[in-house]
Amino acid sequence: MSVPTSMRVGPFTPTVLVKKRYLLFYIFLIWISIIPILLEFWFYWQWLYDPVRPVHFYIFLPLLFFLMYLTMVFTALLFAKILLGIVNAFHKPKEGVFLRDLSDKDYRYWSLRNTIKRWPVWLSHKFPFPFLDNVCFKAFGVKTTFTNSLFEGWVDCEFIEFGKNVVVGQGSIIQSAVIVGNLLIIRKTIIEDDVRIGAHAVVMPGTHIGKRSVLAANSVTIVGQELEEGYIYVGIPSKKYKKNRFFEDGLEKVLGHVKDVEGLRQKYEEMYIKRHDDHLSIKERIEHRKEIKEEEKRFMEQQEP
Amino acid sequence: MNNAVHNESKDEIDYALDFTTSSAISRVNVKFLAVYIPIIWLSGILIGVFWYEWNKNKPPISEDWEPWVGTLIFLPYAIISMFFIFIISCMFLSKLFLILINLIHKPREGVFRAEIGDADFEFWCLRTELKKLVMWLMRNFPIPWLDSLAFKWFGVKMDSSSHLPDAWCDIEFVKLGRRVLVGQGAVVMSSMVIGNYLIIKEVILDDYTVIGGMACVSPGTITGRDVLLGAISATVLNQLLEAGWIYFGIPAIKLKPNQLAYVSQITKSSVDDEQKVIEEEVINIEEEKKEKLKDKW
Repeated sequence: MSVPTSMRVGPFTPTVLVKKRYLLFYIFLIWISIIPILLEFWFYWQWLYDPVRPVHFYIFLPLLFFLMYLTMVFTALLFAKILLGIVNAFHKPKEGVFLRDLSDKDYRYWSLRNTIKRWPVWLSHKFPFPFLDNVCFKAFGVKTTFTNSLFEGWVDCEFIEFGKNVVVGQGSIIQSAVIVGNLLIIRKTIIEDDVRIGAHAVVMPGTHIGKRSVLAANSVTIVGQELEEGYIYVGIPSKKYKKNRFFEDGLEKVLGHVKDVEGLRQKYEEMYIKRHDDHLSIKERIEHRKEIKEEEKRFMEQQEP
Repeated sequence: MNNAVHNESKDEIDYALDFTTSSAISRVNVKFLAVYIPIIWLSGILIGVFWYEWNKNKPPISEDWEPWVGTLIFLPYAIISMFFIFIISCMFLSKLFLILINLIHKPREGVFRAEIGDADFEFWCLRTELKKLVMWLMRNFPIPWLDSLAFKWFGVKMDSSSHLPDAWCDIEFVKLGRRVLVGQGAVVMSSMVIGNYLIIKEVILDDYTVIGGMACVSPGTITGRDVLLGAISATVLNQLLEAGWIYFGIPAIKLKPNQLAYVSQITKSSVDDEQKVIEEEVINIEEEKKEKLKDKW
């Protein structure tokens, strides 16, 4: 699988809001993570460099570079983790809806946390093998296992839980925090075992995807959506499409492709044209409208004080 | 709520693959390190040899500054050559490994189980992981033709007039015609994971096909000449896109005929021909005028 260049090898921690005062954290992390690799190289030089016959030195040099990169990532991780510990001691990360403004403490600490995470995550994404990624996610408190493939998508680094065997598609986005207008919404996203998330799908914060569900390509969930166990979800916003029977045995010959694509498109569109209040009687409709008005009133009353 | 009930009753035994998922499996497997480390090590040794030879005849550092200037001026050249040596040796070594792996197990199309234990699945994982290193190296280098070189090297049948570098593309079972353009962030898959199954099917994009940004091309898709697939649309498994049409939507259906198809086929030579024709016509008109004038006189 090849990753596009213009995407800069895909995912980092998303939505980092650069503030000048947070630059110090970057500089500190970059500085501290480079020191041990210099020490490593110096030891290696002292140990193996022989100006007359530098054969050993050059033979093991590539392996040393490999090790140096790993050391850099792990030191960056360690110090980022320590910094995060200190930052979280000052202000515990929590879910909720916050104002997107510097006066809001949660918003400030959220962007600070993301700033700290960015350097190690960037480093581990720049590594061509996926395992460093998973280490990074684990260290920052995302529940994952090494059986998940999260390498090709954008995945947030906090308030996310993954089960086993999750496949995140190319360019799909899994968020636990989203900015809507002037609000920052942080909610926990839970994705259970054997979930397949299609290419370019967007999982919004608060989504709960049950076991063995599929979110098809190019579909989007809404904030706080519950996707039931064992179903295929399609569309923007995603809707229940059919039962996921593709975990059964012996389907190699049964699996078929669609011949009537235009019919299929109509089937997709029917799901959206149908409104949930189609089959309501007149009385029920009137009640429904009343409820909506009452909700609006309550909302306005809340706003006034 | 009615939808759910409606759908449940409808799809009692529905095994049709009328949706698209992804093929991104880059599972972490310690087995792959056994392939990576020799490739990196051997290519690294080549660089070491190059660096040693580069520095062998240099005079030692002294107060005399002239040799330093020479070293500094040619240092970028050395670094770029080292990078190229690394990439090319990685290319050759991974191709060697790939040939060996393909001798053990030949890559083939079909439906397989996506579980550890299935030979096809495991070898598919191994192949994609093996190719990843070189693709990653080349794609982080700002020269686009290196990408198409790598695609060709690993068995994508394509011309260098096609443009792939801004898309996710599988590196096997893909055939491209002339001047195919695949948009930013598009996904061209020749393999797809659905439930417990891995589907591998060849993708063929014919001449002058344009795939829009963020579009998904499922395995088995065959496009005709001059097909345009709109942005953020997706094709289903084994879909045929007829030549000369614009397709759009999820799943992609015919939107309208591609009336600008001929534009993609205009080359420089044909433009020159057209100019010639116009000039001839102008001359002819003038001759006609002269003739008419003659008649008048």
